[in-house]
Amino acid sequence: MDIAGIAKKFIKGKTFSLLCMLMLIIVFFWYFSPNHSFLSVTNIVIILNSMVLFILFAVAVSMLIISGEVDLSPGFIGTAAGATMAALLEGGTVPWFVAVIICLLMGIGFGLINAVLVNKFRIQSFIATLAVGTFLARGFSFIVSGGRAIPVRDPVISWLGTARIGDVVPVTVLISLAIILVYGTILSKTKFGRGVYLCGGNREAARLAGLNPKKLSYLLFANSGMLGALAGILFVARIRSGNLDGTNAFSFPAVTAVIFGGISFGGGSGKMLGCFLGLLIINAFNNGLTIMRVSPFWQDVASGLLLLLALTLDYISTRRANRASIPKSARRLKQEG
Amino acid sequence: MERTLEFVNISKAFPGVQALNDVSVQVKGGRVSALMGENGAGKSTLLKILSGDYVPDGGCVRINGEEKNFTSPYQSIKASVSVIYQERQLLNAMSVMENVFIDDLHESKFGFLNKSELRRKTQEIIDSFELPVKPSDIVGHLSIAHQQMIEIMKAYRRDSDIIAFDEPTAPLTDREIAVLFRLIGKLKERGKIILYVSHRMAEIFQITDDIVVLKDGQLVTTFETSQTNEAELVKAMVGRDIGDTYAGIRRNDKIGDTLLEVKNLVTEDINNVSFTLRRGEVLGFAGLVGAGRTELMRAVFGADPVISGDILLEGKSVNFKSPKEAIDSGIALCPEDRKTQGLVLSRSIRDNISMPVLPKLSKRLFMDTKAEESLAASAISKFAIKTPTAEKLTLELSGGNQQKVILGRWTSNLMDTKILILDEPTKGIDVGAKAEIYQLIHDFASQGIGVILISSELTEVLNVSDYIIVMRSGRITGRLSRHEATEERVIELSMMD
Ligand SMILES: Nc1ncnc2c1ncn2[C@@H]1O[C@H](COP(=O)(O)OP(=O)(O)OP(=O)(O)O)[C@@H](O)[C@H]1O
Ligand SMILES: [Mg+2]
Repeated sequence: MDIAGIAKKFIKGKTFSLLCMLMLIIVFFWYFSPNHSFLSVTNIVIILNSMVLFILFAVAVSMLIISGEVDLSPGFIGTAAGATMAALLEGGTVPWFVAVIICLLMGIGFGLINAVLVNKFRIQSFIATLAVGTFLARGFSFIVSGGRAIPVRDPVISWLGTARIGDVVPVTVLISLAIILVYGTILSKTKFGRGVYLCGGNREAARLAGLNPKKLSYLLFANSGMLGALAGILFVARIRSGNLDGTNAFSFPAVTAVIFGGISFGGGSGKMLGCFLGLLIINAFNNGLTIMRVSPFWQDVASGLLLLLALTLDYISTRRANRASIPKSARRLKQEG
Repeated sequence: MERTLEFVNISKAFPGVQALNDVSVQVKGGRVSALMGENGAGKSTLLKILSGDYVPDGGCVRINGEEKNFTSPYQSIKASVSVIYQERQLLNAMSVMENVFIDDLHESKFGFLNKSELRRKTQEIIDSFELPVKPSDIVGHLSIAHQQMIEIMKAYRRDSDIIAFDEPTAPLTDREIAVLFRLIGKLKERGKIILYVSHRMAEIFQITDDIVVLKDGQLVTTFETSQTNEAELVKAMVGRDIGDTYAGIRRNDKIGDTLLEVKNLVTEDINNVSFTLRRGEVLGFAGLVGAGRTELMRAVFGADPVISGDILLEGKSVNFKSPKEAIDSGIALCPEDRKTQGLVLSRSIRDNISMPVLPKLSKRLFMDTKAEESLAASAISKFAIKTPTAEKLTLELSGGNQQKVILGRWTSNLMDTKILILDEPTKGIDVGAKAEIYQLIHDFASQGIGVILISSELTEVLNVSDYIIVMRSGRITGRLSRHEATEERVIELSMMD
């Protein structure tokens, strides 16, 4: 395709509209923030720092959404993993890396339970993962922690939560960026990633063409549980305590951010870059409101408005595109382009 | 007053393609008008403009002299226009009656569905279509042919003045086609305007009165059906003489030893079936809807479970638990229904073609994009798939070109195929390309590949195959060599109890 064609396609695509929105937000808050502090290095690091856990959860969830499923459990798995981590380290006899491995395996275990419920018992993933998250994982957190907040004093884990490279960039930020980069590459450049799209687009056609959608589903749920557990570990490392709320509250916002980034339910399309931009937009926006000292109550309202605005813009642009060429049936797929 | 439908200077472009270019056509009530043209000529696009799904870039539609600018299917239905799309638009999880009455669900006084009324009316329609289904059957569980009939019922029920059929017979067997043609005859008697798209030549001469020919989005000519013949029509469509489709095949005549042996196979739908396929043989399977041909092949391919029986590949007993195992052993199955079993519509042509050979396209960790590009490019040129780029989503291709993508997938040179199973391979494919596919089948055969051909187009099975097996209700009712097989004989066997 010629350069003009590629440019045209890009402009119509989702990535472009997300970039535009990001630009708008940056310019707006840069202009209105006190001393233009919105774009200071410190503030950019603050924004990236606020994204760390969201990135892990969103990566986990987007892989599953592209494959045609959804996972609402990783936030709860994160809490369970965090509580377990704190409990294991409490006595001071378990080395930190053993605790980390146990917690990651536990996350994988919860993920596999999701996979069995979805693939063997054919329960809708929305329900299955919600049940596993809110009952199994949460119940587990209670049992492990005995209902109390357990302080974490392990030096390595504390370092993980607070260390900054060159005194500027937190290690956790680097970890999260590395993870989204790796998963983005897997998704767009490897056979495995292609399989995720194909199985999500048409499971039966993929199976008949020699792919293994079931195996893929098990792998993705396990992966999601593992990333959830990793997020839980980072969370505990940061606040140095395993408690009962942990990362529970992250489950739904992660899904929202993924959808915001153009990875839609139904599967078969969407990009990790969109997911990243979606997260960046949401977090930059919230940060901007904070530094402009908007009260938290109004922040919620504003976030809601942002979401509505995004959806409206999407609607208008796809409707225009439709008038030009796209059939009704194709519209949903087109906008993710 | 006689009804008329005019397309006036219609143009429509998609990125990289001018699908329709200044097309003006007029058709009249009480006549069946055929729309003909190669794959991607713009037939379906024209019908989607009529249905209000697409808005033309230029030009307009006039009904009975009155200009109409539909911007949604809702409006066209209200204006008494029904278009039956090439791809089924059914709600698979819903019942037959809910699908048939989708835009007119009967309500009782309190706004609840009046199910008994709905059931009664649906049953009436089912009776006139002579179908063995119940109003409460879930559509997704029906055979593809019956689903297609439900799709037609949906439009038939509205009793619109204008009814357009976009390749209605592609998934149907003779029995349903006979019913459909009777119904079309009745609609015609009542003065309705009927547009009819098909790639099956015989049908065109059987039921149409006028023929409109499109090529590359432009109107070529119009014929009165009685004033033309097949050769002239094909020439107008393709732009050159292609000769006799079947007589022109350079057949493979070297048939070797046994490649596949199926013994006493029993599955949920198959009752004790045995057959053998030899190297270089083209083995045709004929039968009606529900004969079990598709199910038999799916079982051989590892897509459906086998209850009992043996499958021997080159003398070795095999028992594939998944299509992947069958593919790895050299069996390829090009499935019956491109929408549900074939394509991943949300992905590009390239992605769809490379599906079964992904492991071979993986270089160390990453996909070998160059090799994949060239694989796609060779399929696009081999089948003359009409597209500006390999990146185009298969969703945006014309029906026939979608079918070519699936054929391209299963015949790519990275596949180590020993047995090629083709289930309705020419569904939706134009005359010119059909001839090339028949040739391709025999080219494969001459390389020693065993080809199994399932087709509901009887002339196709009879003329392309070396040997023909007829099935009915999950059993084999007859085996004929090419020389013994006649249409009458095959029809008789496919109805035999
Ligand atoms: N939604 C779309 N987006 C992009 N291109 C499209 C779209 N719909 C159709 N086209 C292109 O327009 C051209 C005409 O397609 P159309 O479906 O009308 O062909 P057709 O005559 O019905 O062919 P067939 O016999 O294969 O069904 C094709 O090249 C097709 O790729
Ligand atoms: Mg078409």
